[in-house]
Amino acid sequence: MTTTTLNHDEAHHHDMPTGWRRWLFSTNHKDIGTLYLLFALTMLFLGGASAMLIRLELFQPGIQLLDPDLYNNLVTNHALIMIFGAVMPAAAGLANWMIPMMIGAPDMALPRMNNLSFWILPAAATMLILSFVVPFFPGGGTQINTGWTLYPPLSVQVGMSMDFLIFAIHLLGISSVLASINIIVTLLNMRAPGMTLMTMPMFCWTWLVTAFLLILVVPVLAGGVTMLLFDRHFGTSFFDAAGGGDPVLFQHLFWFFGHPEVYILLLPSIGVLSHVIPAFSRKPLFGYKSMVGAMLTVATIGMVVWAHHQYTIGMSLGAVTYFMIGTILISIPVGLMIFNFIATMWRGAMTFETPMLFAVAIVLMFTFGGLSGVMLAVVPADMQYHDSMFVVAHFHYVLMPGAVFGLFAGVFYWLPKWTGHMYDETLGKIFFWTNVIGFNITFFPQHFLGLAGMPRRIVDYNMMFTEFNVISSIGAIIFGLSHLLLLYIVIKTIRGGKKAESRAWEGAKGLEWELDSPPAFHTWTVAPQIK
Amino acid sequence: MRIPRHQTPALRNKNVRLAWVLGGMAIFFLVTSFPFWTGLFRIVGTQAMP
Repeated sequence: MTTTTLNHDEAHHHDMPTGWRRWLFSTNHKDIGTLYLLFALTMLFLGGASAMLIRLELFQPGIQLLDPDLYNNLVTNHALIMIFGAVMPAAAGLANWMIPMMIGAPDMALPRMNNLSFWILPAAATMLILSFVVPFFPGGGTQINTGWTLYPPLSVQVGMSMDFLIFAIHLLGISSVLASINIIVTLLNMRAPGMTLMTMPMFCWTWLVTAFLLILVVPVLAGGVTMLLFDRHFGTSFFDAAGGGDPVLFQHLFWFFGHPEVYILLLPSIGVLSHVIPAFSRKPLFGYKSMVGAMLTVATIGMVVWAHHQYTIGMSLGAVTYFMIGTILISIPVGLMIFNFIATMWRGAMTFETPMLFAVAIVLMFTFGGLSGVMLAVVPADMQYHDSMFVVAHFHYVLMPGAVFGLFAGVFYWLPKWTGHMYDETLGKIFFWTNVIGFNITFFPQHFLGLAGMPRRIVDYNMMFTEFNVISSIGAIIFGLSHLLLLYIVIKTIRGGKKAESRAWEGAKGLEWELDSPPAFHTWTVAPQIK
Repeated sequence: MRIPRHQTPALRNKNVRLAWVLGGMAIFFLVTSFPFWTGLFRIVGTQAMP
Protein backbone atom coordinates (compact mmCIF):
# COMPACT_ATOMS: atom_id res chain seq x y z
CA MET A 1 0.00 0.00 0.00
CA THR A 2 1.45 3.39 -0.96
CA THR A 3 0.27 6.79 0.12
CA THR A 4 0.70 9.71 -2.20
CA THR A 5 -0.99 12.53 -0.33
CA LEU A 6 -0.26 13.11 3.31
CA ASN A 7 -2.05 16.21 4.47
CA HIS A 8 -2.20 15.31 8.11
CA ASP A 9 -0.09 18.30 9.13
CA GLU A 10 -3.16 20.41 8.60
CA ALA A 11 -4.36 19.15 11.96
CA HIS A 12 -4.09 21.74 14.69
CA HIS A 13 -4.83 21.92 18.35
CA HIS A 14 -6.69 25.23 18.15
CA ASP A 15 -10.09 23.75 18.96
CA MET A 16 -9.02 21.15 21.50
CA PRO A 17 -11.16 21.54 24.64
CA THR A 18 -9.37 21.55 27.97
CA GLY A 19 -10.05 20.38 31.51
CA TRP A 20 -12.82 17.99 32.42
CA ARG A 21 -14.94 19.10 29.47
CA ARG A 22 -12.36 17.61 27.13
CA TRP A 23 -13.09 14.16 28.56
CA LEU A 24 -16.77 14.35 29.49
CA PHE A 25 -17.96 15.87 26.21
CA SER A 26 -15.27 14.38 24.01
CA THR A 27 -16.13 13.36 20.48
CA ASN A 28 -12.49 12.82 19.54
CA HIS A 29 -11.68 9.19 18.79
CA LYS A 30 -8.24 9.39 20.42
CA ASP A 31 -9.57 10.83 23.67
CA ILE A 32 -12.41 8.32 23.79
CA GLY A 33 -9.91 5.55 23.04
CA THR A 34 -7.81 6.73 25.98
CA LEU A 35 -10.90 6.79 28.22
CA TYR A 36 -11.76 3.21 27.21
CA LEU A 37 -8.21 2.04 27.92
CA LEU A 38 -8.05 3.76 31.33
CA PHE A 39 -11.44 2.33 32.24
CA ALA A 40 -10.30 -1.16 31.17
CA LEU A 41 -7.08 -0.85 33.20
CA THR A 42 -9.05 0.14 36.29
CA MET A 43 -11.40 -2.80 35.86
CA LEU A 44 -8.47 -5.13 35.21
CA PHE A 45 -7.17 -4.33 38.68
CA LEU A 46 -10.63 -4.69 40.22
CA GLY A 47 -11.21 -8.05 38.53
CA GLY A 48 -7.66 -9.04 39.39
CA ALA A 49 -8.24 -8.23 43.07
CA SER A 50 -11.25 -10.57 43.13
CA ALA A 51 -9.13 -13.27 41.44
CA MET A 52 -6.43 -12.84 44.08
CA LEU A 53 -9.02 -13.28 46.84
CA ILE A 54 -10.30 -16.44 45.13
CA ARG A 55 -6.80 -17.89 44.92
CA LEU A 56 -5.98 -16.88 48.52
CA GLU A 57 -9.08 -18.74 49.66
CA LEU A 58 -8.03 -21.82 47.67
CA PHE A 59 -4.45 -21.69 48.97
CA GLN A 60 -5.39 -24.26 51.60
CA PRO A 61 -8.29 -26.72 51.97
CA GLY A 62 -11.00 -25.66 54.36
CA ILE A 63 -12.66 -22.28 54.59
CA GLN A 64 -10.01 -19.57 55.14
CA LEU A 65 -11.31 -16.09 54.37
CA LEU A 66 -14.64 -16.23 52.56
CA ASP A 67 -17.98 -17.85 53.23
CA PRO A 68 -19.26 -20.03 50.35
CA ASP A 69 -21.76 -17.49 48.99
CA LEU A 70 -19.25 -14.66 49.08
CA TYR A 71 -16.73 -16.90 47.31
CA ASN A 72 -19.23 -17.62 44.54
CA ASN A 73 -20.13 -13.93 44.36
CA LEU A 74 -16.45 -13.16 43.82
CA VAL A 75 -16.27 -15.83 41.09
CA THR A 76 -19.30 -14.22 39.39
CA ASN A 77 -17.93 -10.71 39.69
CA HIS A 78 -14.44 -11.67 38.59
CA ALA A 79 -15.76 -13.11 35.32
CA LEU A 80 -18.18 -10.29 34.56
CA ILE A 81 -15.68 -7.55 35.40
CA MET A 82 -12.91 -9.14 33.35
CA ILE A 83 -15.09 -9.89 30.30
CA PHE A 84 -17.35 -6.83 30.18
CA GLY A 85 -15.22 -4.37 32.12
CA ALA A 86 -11.65 -5.11 31.13
CA VAL A 87 -11.25 -7.08 27.88
CA MET A 88 -14.12 -5.68 25.79
CA PRO A 89 -13.48 -2.01 26.70
CA ALA A 90 -9.72 -2.47 26.16
CA ALA A 91 -10.38 -3.86 22.68
CA ALA A 92 -12.81 -0.98 22.05
CA GLY A 93 -10.11 1.43 23.22
CA LEU A 94 -7.65 0.02 20.68
CA ALA A 95 -10.37 0.22 18.00
CA ASN A 96 -11.15 3.84 18.81
CA TRP A 97 -7.53 4.87 18.78
CA MET A 98 -6.38 2.94 15.76
CA ILE A 99 -9.22 2.36 13.27
CA PRO A 100 -9.61 5.98 12.07
CA MET A 101 -5.82 6.40 11.85
CA MET A 102 -5.46 3.07 10.01
CA ILE A 103 -8.12 3.76 7.39
CA GLY A 104 -7.28 7.43 6.86
CA ALA A 105 -10.48 8.76 8.45
CA PRO A 106 -10.56 11.98 10.49
CA ASP A 107 -12.65 10.41 13.25
CA MET A 108 -15.30 7.77 13.91
CA ALA A 109 -18.41 8.05 11.74
CA LEU A 110 -20.72 8.92 14.65
CA PRO A 111 -18.62 10.88 17.15
CA ARG A 112 -21.37 11.81 19.61
CA MET A 113 -22.62 8.23 19.73
CA ASN A 114 -19.02 7.28 20.44
CA ASN A 115 -19.10 9.52 23.51
CA LEU A 116 -22.38 7.92 24.63
CA SER A 117 -21.02 4.37 24.12
CA PHE A 118 -18.18 5.10 26.48
CA TRP A 119 -20.02 7.06 29.17
CA ILE A 120 -22.61 4.32 29.58
CA LEU A 121 -19.77 2.09 30.78
CA PRO A 122 -19.00 3.80 34.12
CA ALA A 123 -22.72 3.71 34.93
CA ALA A 124 -22.82 0.01 34.06
CA ALA A 125 -19.69 -0.66 36.12
CA THR A 126 -21.30 1.11 39.08
CA MET A 127 -24.34 -1.15 38.81
CA LEU A 128 -22.07 -4.19 38.50
CA ILE A 129 -20.09 -3.23 41.60
CA LEU A 130 -23.31 -2.44 43.48
CA SER A 131 -24.54 -5.96 42.69
CA PHE A 132 -21.53 -7.17 44.66
CA VAL A 133 -21.79 -4.64 47.47
CA VAL A 134 -25.55 -4.51 48.12
CA PRO A 135 -25.77 -7.85 50.00
CA PHE A 136 -23.42 -6.47 52.67
CA PHE A 137 -26.06 -3.92 53.70
CA PRO A 138 -29.07 -4.68 55.91
CA GLY A 139 -31.94 -5.84 53.70
CA GLY A 140 -29.57 -6.25 50.75
CA GLY A 141 -30.57 -9.87 50.21
CA THR A 142 -28.39 -12.81 49.33
CA GLN A 143 -25.14 -12.87 47.36
CA ILE A 144 -25.12 -13.64 43.64
CA ASN A 145 -23.82 -17.18 43.77
CA THR A 146 -24.70 -18.25 40.24
CA GLY A 147 -21.43 -17.69 38.42
CA TRP A 148 -21.39 -15.45 35.33
CA THR A 149 -23.80 -17.80 33.53
CA LEU A 150 -26.68 -16.69 35.80
CA TYR A 151 -28.58 -19.94 35.35
CA PRO A 152 -32.10 -20.13 36.76
CA PRO A 153 -33.63 -21.26 39.05
CA LEU A 154 -30.79 -19.99 41.29
CA SER A 155 -30.73 -16.58 39.58
CA VAL A 156 -34.48 -16.22 40.16
CA GLN A 157 -34.08 -16.97 43.84
CA VAL A 158 -31.14 -14.72 44.83
CA GLY A 159 -31.69 -11.27 46.30
CA MET A 160 -32.03 -7.79 44.83
CA SER A 161 -28.36 -7.72 43.84
CA MET A 162 -29.37 -9.77 40.80
CA ASP A 163 -31.55 -6.87 39.63
CA PHE A 164 -28.52 -4.57 39.75
CA LEU A 165 -26.61 -7.14 37.74
CA ILE A 166 -29.36 -7.50 35.13
CA PHE A 167 -29.50 -3.72 34.74
CA ALA A 168 -25.70 -3.62 34.45
CA ILE A 169 -25.85 -6.22 31.67
CA HIS A 170 -28.49 -4.17 29.84
CA LEU A 171 -26.31 -1.07 30.01
CA LEU A 172 -23.20 -2.96 28.94
CA GLY A 173 -25.13 -4.44 26.04
CA ILE A 174 -26.39 -1.03 24.88
CA SER A 175 -22.85 0.33 25.05
CA SER A 176 -21.45 -2.61 23.07
CA VAL A 177 -24.12 -2.44 20.36
CA LEU A 178 -23.72 1.33 19.92
CA ALA A 179 -19.94 1.00 19.72
CA SER A 180 -20.31 -1.84 17.20
CA ILE A 181 -22.65 0.17 15.00
CA ASN A 182 -20.16 3.03 15.05
CA ILE A 183 -17.24 0.78 14.13
CA ILE A 184 -19.10 -0.89 11.25
CA VAL A 185 -20.28 2.44 9.83
CA THR A 186 -16.76 3.86 10.14
CA LEU A 187 -15.17 0.88 8.40
CA LEU A 188 -17.73 0.70 5.60
CA ASN A 189 -18.18 4.43 4.90
CA MET A 190 -15.10 6.29 6.06
CA ARG A 191 -12.17 4.49 4.43
CA ALA A 192 -9.71 6.65 2.51
CA PRO A 193 -10.22 6.70 -1.27
CA GLY A 194 -8.52 3.70 -2.82
CA MET A 195 -8.67 1.52 0.30
CA THR A 196 -10.89 -1.45 -0.49
CA LEU A 197 -12.19 -3.95 2.02
CA MET A 198 -9.55 -6.43 0.85
CA THR A 199 -6.71 -3.95 1.35
CA MET A 200 -7.96 -2.82 4.74
CA PRO A 201 -5.57 -3.47 7.66
CA MET A 202 -6.28 -6.82 9.32
CA PHE A 203 -7.01 -5.20 12.71
CA CYS A 204 -9.91 -3.41 10.98
CA TRP A 205 -11.15 -6.66 9.48
CA THR A 206 -11.12 -8.40 12.86
CA TRP A 207 -13.11 -5.53 14.35
CA LEU A 208 -15.60 -5.55 11.46
CA VAL A 209 -16.36 -9.22 12.16
CA THR A 210 -16.36 -8.66 15.93
CA ALA A 211 -18.80 -5.76 15.65
CA PHE A 212 -21.23 -7.80 13.53
CA LEU A 213 -21.01 -10.66 16.03
CA LEU A 214 -21.80 -8.24 18.87
CA ILE A 215 -24.86 -6.88 17.08
CA LEU A 216 -26.11 -10.40 16.43
CA VAL A 217 -25.65 -11.92 19.88
CA VAL A 218 -25.77 -9.20 22.54
CA PRO A 219 -29.50 -8.53 21.97
CA VAL A 220 -30.18 -12.22 22.65
CA LEU A 221 -28.47 -11.97 26.04
CA ALA A 222 -30.44 -8.79 26.70
CA GLY A 223 -33.63 -10.70 25.91
CA GLY A 224 -32.61 -13.60 28.16
CA VAL A 225 -31.91 -11.42 31.19
CA THR A 226 -35.08 -9.42 30.53
CA MET A 227 -37.06 -12.65 30.73
CA LEU A 228 -35.17 -13.43 33.94
CA LEU A 229 -36.23 -10.05 35.31
CA PHE A 230 -39.84 -10.81 34.37
CA ASP A 231 -39.65 -14.18 36.12
CA ARG A 232 -38.25 -12.50 39.22
CA HIS A 233 -40.74 -9.66 39.51
CA PHE A 234 -43.72 -9.93 37.18
CA GLY A 235 -44.98 -13.44 37.79
CA THR A 236 -43.96 -14.94 34.45
CA SER A 237 -42.60 -18.47 34.16
CA PHE A 238 -40.24 -18.40 31.21
CA PHE A 239 -37.67 -20.43 33.13
CA ASP A 240 -39.83 -21.90 35.88
CA ALA A 241 -40.81 -25.51 35.23
CA ALA A 242 -43.62 -25.28 37.79
CA GLY A 243 -45.28 -22.61 35.68
CA GLY A 244 -44.74 -24.40 32.36
CA GLY A 245 -41.39 -22.75 31.61
CA ASP A 246 -38.01 -24.32 31.00
CA PRO A 247 -34.76 -23.39 32.82
CA VAL A 248 -32.78 -24.93 29.95
CA LEU A 249 -34.18 -22.24 27.63
CA PHE A 250 -32.09 -19.69 29.52
CA GLN A 251 -28.99 -21.81 29.02
CA HIS A 252 -29.60 -21.82 25.26
CA LEU A 253 -30.16 -18.05 25.19
CA PHE A 254 -27.12 -17.42 27.36
CA TRP A 255 -24.75 -19.60 25.33
CA PHE A 256 -26.09 -18.32 22.01
CA PHE A 257 -24.47 -15.14 23.27
CA GLY A 258 -21.76 -16.72 25.40
CA HIS A 259 -19.98 -18.81 22.80
CA PRO A 260 -19.67 -16.11 20.11
CA GLU A 261 -18.55 -13.87 22.98
CA VAL A 262 -15.39 -15.97 23.11
CA TYR A 263 -14.63 -14.93 19.50
CA ILE A 264 -15.64 -11.36 20.30
CA LEU A 265 -12.88 -11.38 22.90
CA LEU A 266 -10.36 -13.20 20.70
CA LEU A 267 -10.68 -11.59 17.28
CA PRO A 268 -9.41 -8.07 18.12
CA SER A 269 -6.28 -9.68 19.57
CA ILE A 270 -5.87 -11.76 16.41
CA GLY A 271 -6.01 -8.41 14.61
CA VAL A 272 -3.24 -7.03 16.82
CA LEU A 273 -1.09 -10.10 16.12
CA SER A 274 -1.63 -9.60 12.40
CA HIS A 275 0.27 -6.32 12.74
CA VAL A 276 2.80 -7.20 15.44
CA ILE A 277 4.11 -10.43 13.89
CA PRO A 278 4.74 -8.96 10.40
CA ALA A 279 6.35 -5.84 11.93
CA PHE A 280 8.85 -7.79 14.04
CA SER A 281 9.40 -10.47 11.37
CA ARG A 282 9.95 -7.76 8.74
CA LYS A 283 7.69 -9.62 6.34
CA PRO A 284 4.16 -9.03 5.10
CA LEU A 285 1.39 -11.04 6.74
CA PHE A 286 1.22 -14.49 5.15
CA GLY A 287 -2.18 -15.32 3.61
CA TYR A 288 -4.20 -12.12 4.05
CA LYS A 289 -7.20 -13.46 2.13
CA SER A 290 -7.14 -16.78 3.95
CA MET A 291 -7.05 -14.90 7.28
CA VAL A 292 -10.18 -12.99 6.29
CA GLY A 293 -11.84 -16.23 5.14
CA ALA A 294 -10.83 -18.03 8.33
CA MET A 295 -12.22 -15.22 10.47
CA LEU A 296 -15.55 -15.23 8.65
CA THR A 297 -15.69 -19.04 8.96
CA VAL A 298 -14.93 -18.91 12.68
CA ALA A 299 -17.64 -16.28 13.19
CA THR A 300 -20.20 -18.25 11.14
CA ILE A 301 -19.57 -21.65 12.73
CA GLY A 302 -19.10 -20.03 16.14
CA MET A 303 -22.70 -18.78 15.96
CA VAL A 304 -24.18 -22.27 15.66
CA VAL A 305 -22.27 -24.44 18.15
CA TRP A 306 -23.31 -22.83 21.45
CA ALA A 307 -24.73 -25.98 23.05
CA HIS A 308 -21.32 -27.63 23.47
CA HIS A 309 -21.40 -25.78 26.81
CA GLN A 310 -24.48 -27.80 27.73
CA TYR A 311 -23.68 -31.43 26.84
CA THR A 312 -24.77 -32.62 30.27
CA ILE A 313 -28.34 -31.26 30.09
CA GLY A 314 -29.61 -34.35 28.27
CA MET A 315 -29.85 -33.43 24.59
CA SER A 316 -30.64 -35.99 21.90
CA LEU A 317 -27.79 -38.00 20.40
CA GLY A 318 -28.26 -36.20 17.08
CA ALA A 319 -28.03 -32.79 18.74
CA VAL A 320 -24.87 -33.52 20.72
CA THR A 321 -23.26 -35.10 17.64
CA TYR A 322 -24.01 -31.99 15.60
CA PHE A 323 -22.65 -29.65 18.27
CA MET A 324 -19.56 -31.83 18.75
CA ILE A 325 -18.70 -31.96 15.04
CA GLY A 326 -19.39 -28.24 14.58
CA THR A 327 -17.15 -27.37 17.51
CA ILE A 328 -14.27 -29.53 16.30
CA LEU A 329 -14.63 -28.00 12.81
CA ILE A 330 -13.80 -24.56 14.28
CA SER A 331 -10.29 -25.79 14.98
CA ILE A 332 -9.64 -25.83 11.20
CA PRO A 333 -9.95 -22.06 10.52
CA VAL A 334 -8.37 -21.24 13.90
CA GLY A 335 -5.48 -23.56 13.05
CA LEU A 336 -5.17 -21.84 9.68
CA MET A 337 -4.72 -18.47 11.43
CA ILE A 338 -2.02 -19.94 13.66
CA PHE A 339 -0.23 -21.49 10.65
CA ASN A 340 -0.41 -18.12 8.86
CA PHE A 341 1.30 -16.48 11.85
CA ILE A 342 4.00 -19.15 11.88
CA ALA A 343 4.46 -18.81 8.10
CA THR A 344 4.80 -15.04 8.56
CA MET A 345 7.61 -15.61 11.06
CA TRP A 346 9.25 -18.27 8.89
CA ARG A 347 12.64 -17.02 7.67
CA GLY A 348 11.78 -13.51 8.78
CA ALA A 349 14.38 -11.17 10.26
CA MET A 350 12.80 -11.57 13.67
CA THR A 351 13.54 -9.47 16.72
CA PHE A 352 11.93 -9.99 20.09
CA GLU A 353 10.74 -6.72 21.54
CA THR A 354 7.97 -6.96 24.13
CA PRO A 355 5.02 -6.96 21.66
CA MET A 356 6.66 -9.78 19.69
CA LEU A 357 7.39 -11.76 22.85
CA PHE A 358 3.70 -11.61 23.69
CA ALA A 359 2.84 -12.57 20.11
CA VAL A 360 5.03 -15.68 20.20
CA ALA A 361 3.65 -16.59 23.63
CA ILE A 362 0.13 -16.28 22.26
CA VAL A 363 0.85 -18.58 19.31
CA LEU A 364 2.19 -21.24 21.70
CA MET A 365 -0.19 -20.91 24.62
CA PHE A 366 -3.38 -20.17 22.72
CA THR A 367 -2.71 -23.30 20.66
CA PHE A 368 -2.38 -25.22 23.91
CA GLY A 369 -5.72 -23.81 25.11
CA GLY A 370 -7.25 -24.71 21.77
CA LEU A 371 -6.07 -28.31 22.10
CA SER A 372 -7.72 -28.72 25.51
CA GLY A 373 -10.78 -27.17 23.80
CA VAL A 374 -10.83 -30.01 21.30
CA MET A 375 -10.74 -32.43 24.25
CA LEU A 376 -13.74 -30.66 25.79
CA ALA A 377 -15.60 -30.68 22.49
CA VAL A 378 -15.74 -34.48 22.52
CA VAL A 379 -19.01 -35.40 24.22
CA PRO A 380 -18.04 -38.50 26.25
CA ALA A 381 -14.85 -36.81 27.45
CA ASP A 382 -16.68 -33.60 28.34
CA MET A 383 -19.12 -35.58 30.48
CA GLN A 384 -16.11 -36.26 32.75
CA TYR A 385 -14.43 -32.85 32.54
CA HIS A 386 -17.63 -30.80 32.84
CA ASP A 387 -17.69 -28.25 35.68
CA SER A 388 -14.21 -29.27 36.80
CA MET A 389 -11.07 -27.17 37.24
CA PHE A 390 -9.95 -28.55 33.86
CA VAL A 391 -12.52 -26.25 32.24
CA VAL A 392 -11.20 -23.31 34.29
CA ALA A 393 -7.66 -24.08 33.09
CA HIS A 394 -8.86 -24.44 29.49
CA PHE A 395 -10.71 -21.15 29.21
CA HIS A 396 -7.98 -19.22 30.98
CA TYR A 397 -5.45 -20.65 28.50
CA VAL A 398 -7.73 -19.52 25.67
CA LEU A 399 -8.70 -16.10 27.00
CA MET A 400 -5.54 -14.92 28.74
CA PRO A 401 -3.16 -15.53 25.83
CA GLY A 402 -5.84 -15.26 23.13
CA ALA A 403 -7.42 -12.03 24.35
CA VAL A 404 -5.47 -10.34 27.15
CA PHE A 405 -1.91 -11.01 25.96
CA GLY A 406 -3.00 -9.82 22.52
CA LEU A 407 -4.20 -6.58 24.08
CA PHE A 408 -0.89 -6.26 25.99
CA ALA A 409 0.95 -6.79 22.68
CA GLY A 410 -1.20 -4.04 21.13
CA VAL A 411 -0.60 -1.65 24.01
CA PHE A 412 3.18 -2.11 23.85
CA TYR A 413 3.15 -1.92 20.04
CA TRP A 414 1.14 1.31 19.84
CA LEU A 415 2.18 2.98 23.13
CA PRO A 416 5.02 4.89 21.36
CA LYS A 417 2.51 6.14 18.79
CA TRP A 418 0.02 7.24 21.47
CA THR A 419 2.43 8.88 23.89
CA GLY A 420 5.31 9.93 21.63
CA HIS A 421 7.73 8.08 23.92
CA MET A 422 9.35 4.68 23.71
CA TYR A 423 8.56 2.51 26.73
CA ASP A 424 11.39 1.00 28.78
CA GLU A 425 12.19 -2.20 26.86
CA THR A 426 13.97 -3.85 29.80
CA LEU A 427 10.98 -3.30 32.07
CA GLY A 428 8.68 -4.48 29.27
CA LYS A 429 10.58 -7.75 29.02
CA ILE A 430 10.61 -8.21 32.81
CA PHE A 431 6.85 -7.68 32.75
CA PHE A 432 6.46 -10.22 29.96
CA TRP A 433 8.43 -12.95 31.69
CA THR A 434 6.90 -12.48 35.16
CA ASN A 435 3.44 -12.31 33.58
CA VAL A 436 3.81 -15.39 31.41
CA ILE A 437 5.61 -17.48 34.04
CA GLY A 438 3.08 -16.41 36.70
CA PHE A 439 0.21 -17.26 34.37
CA ASN A 440 1.53 -20.76 33.63
CA ILE A 441 2.26 -21.54 37.27
CA THR A 442 -1.30 -20.47 38.10
CA PHE A 443 -3.25 -22.30 35.46
CA PHE A 444 -1.21 -25.28 34.28
CA PRO A 445 -1.71 -27.23 37.57
CA GLN A 446 -5.46 -26.65 37.30
CA HIS A 447 -5.57 -29.14 34.41
CA PHE A 448 -4.38 -31.85 36.79
CA LEU A 449 -6.77 -30.70 39.51
CA GLY A 450 -9.67 -31.00 37.09
CA LEU A 451 -8.59 -34.37 35.76
CA ALA A 452 -8.28 -35.60 39.35
CA GLY A 453 -11.87 -34.54 39.98
CA MET A 454 -11.76 -31.11 41.67
CA PRO A 455 -14.96 -29.24 40.83
CA ARG A 456 -15.02 -25.53 39.98
CA ARG A 457 -16.99 -22.87 41.88
CA ILE A 458 -16.47 -24.66 45.21
CA VAL A 459 -14.94 -22.80 48.15
CA ASP A 460 -13.47 -25.88 49.83
CA TYR A 461 -11.77 -28.98 48.47
CA ASN A 462 -10.46 -32.40 49.39
CA MET A 463 -7.00 -32.63 51.01
CA MET A 464 -5.70 -34.59 47.99
CA PHE A 465 -5.88 -31.41 45.85
CA THR A 466 -3.76 -29.30 48.23
CA GLU A 467 -0.34 -29.36 46.52
CA PHE A 468 -1.51 -28.23 43.10
CA ASN A 469 -3.71 -25.55 44.67
CA VAL A 470 -0.76 -24.19 46.67
CA ILE A 471 1.32 -24.01 43.45
CA SER A 472 -1.57 -22.37 41.61
CA SER A 473 -2.06 -19.75 44.32
CA ILE A 474 1.67 -18.90 44.46
CA GLY A 475 1.58 -18.48 40.68
CA ALA A 476 -1.46 -16.23 41.01
CA ILE A 477 0.39 -13.94 43.42
CA ILE A 478 3.30 -13.59 40.94
CA PHE A 479 0.87 -13.16 38.06
CA GLY A 480 -1.32 -10.62 39.85
CA LEU A 481 1.55 -8.50 41.17
CA SER A 482 3.23 -8.44 37.74
CA HIS A 483 0.42 -6.17 36.54
CA LEU A 484 1.64 -3.42 38.87
CA LEU A 485 4.74 -3.34 36.67
CA LEU A 486 2.51 -2.85 33.62
CA LEU A 487 0.91 0.12 35.35
CA TYR A 488 4.34 1.55 36.20
CA ILE A 489 5.58 1.12 32.61
CA VAL A 490 2.51 2.83 31.16
CA ILE A 491 2.73 5.80 33.59
CA LYS A 492 6.51 6.10 33.01
CA THR A 493 6.01 6.11 29.23
CA ILE A 494 3.26 8.74 29.39
CA ARG A 495 5.47 10.97 31.55
CA GLY A 496 8.57 10.77 29.36
CA GLY A 497 11.24 8.64 27.79
CA LYS A 498 13.10 8.37 24.54
CA LYS A 499 11.29 10.25 21.77
CA ALA A 500 9.39 7.92 19.45
CA GLU A 501 9.70 8.44 15.72
CA SER A 502 6.65 8.51 13.45
CA ARG A 503 7.45 4.92 12.49
CA ALA A 504 8.32 3.67 15.94
CA TRP A 505 9.16 0.16 14.74
CA GLU A 506 11.40 -0.53 11.78
CA GLY A 507 9.09 -3.11 10.23
CA ALA A 508 5.79 -1.36 10.97
CA LYS A 509 3.57 -0.70 7.95
CA GLY A 510 0.32 1.22 7.58
CA LEU A 511 -1.18 4.69 7.51
CA GLU A 512 -1.01 5.12 11.28
CA TRP A 513 2.79 5.12 11.10
CA GLU A 514 2.75 8.04 8.63
CA LEU A 515 1.42 10.27 11.41
CA ASP A 516 3.51 11.99 14.05
CA SER A 517 4.08 10.31 17.42
CA PRO A 518 2.01 11.38 19.26
CA PRO A 519 -0.46 12.22 16.51
CA ALA A 520 -2.15 15.62 16.35
CA PHE A 521 -5.56 16.06 17.99
CA HIS A 522 -7.21 15.92 14.54
CA THR A 523 -5.62 13.66 11.95
CA TRP A 524 -6.39 12.84 8.31
CA THR A 525 -8.55 15.97 7.96
CA VAL A 526 -7.77 15.52 4.27
CA ALA A 527 -8.03 11.89 3.29
CA PRO A 528 -4.85 10.24 2.06
CA GLN A 529 -4.92 8.72 -1.42
CA ILE A 530 -4.18 5.02 -1.44
CA LYS A 531 -2.58 3.55 -4.55
CA MET B 1 -28.95 17.52 13.40
CA ARG B 2 -25.47 19.02 13.71
CA ILE B 3 -23.07 17.63 11.14
CA PRO B 4 -19.55 16.81 12.33
CA ARG B 5 -17.07 19.17 10.72
CA HIS B 6 -15.16 16.41 9.00
CA GLN B 7 -18.24 15.01 7.22
CA THR B 8 -20.18 16.30 4.25
CA PRO B 9 -23.99 16.29 4.58
CA ALA B 10 -24.13 13.42 2.07
CA LEU B 11 -21.64 11.33 4.03
CA ARG B 12 -23.40 12.17 7.27
CA ASN B 13 -26.72 10.97 5.84
CA LYS B 14 -25.09 7.82 4.55
CA ASN B 15 -23.58 7.13 7.97
CA VAL B 16 -26.80 7.76 9.86
CA ARG B 17 -28.78 5.61 7.42
CA LEU B 18 -26.42 2.65 7.86
CA ALA B 19 -26.45 3.13 11.64
CA TRP B 20 -30.25 2.89 11.65
CA VAL B 21 -30.12 -0.28 9.53
CA LEU B 22 -27.66 -1.87 11.98
CA GLY B 23 -29.69 -0.66 14.96
CA GLY B 24 -32.78 -2.17 13.38
CA MET B 25 -30.91 -5.43 12.97
CA ALA B 26 -30.04 -5.44 16.69
CA ILE B 27 -33.68 -4.77 17.63
CA PHE B 28 -34.82 -7.48 15.22
CA PHE B 29 -32.57 -9.99 16.98
CA LEU B 30 -33.79 -8.76 20.34
CA VAL B 31 -37.44 -9.40 19.60
CA THR B 32 -37.42 -12.35 17.23
CA SER B 33 -34.48 -14.62 17.98
CA PHE B 34 -36.13 -15.95 21.13
CA PRO B 35 -39.69 -16.53 22.23
CA PHE B 36 -39.89 -13.45 24.38
CA TRP B 37 -42.91 -11.74 22.91
CA THR B 38 -44.69 -14.99 22.11
CA GLY B 39 -44.27 -16.15 25.68
CA LEU B 40 -45.26 -12.79 27.10
CA PHE B 41 -48.44 -12.63 25.04
CA ARG B 42 -49.31 -16.21 25.96
CA ILE B 43 -48.85 -15.49 29.64
CA VAL B 44 -50.80 -12.26 29.45
CA GLY B 45 -53.54 -14.11 27.55
CA THR B 46 -53.65 -16.91 30.10
CA GLN B 47 -53.80 -14.52 33.03
CA ALA B 48 -56.55 -12.54 31.39
CA MET B 49 -58.81 -15.60 31.24
CA PRO B 50 -61.38 -15.87 34.03
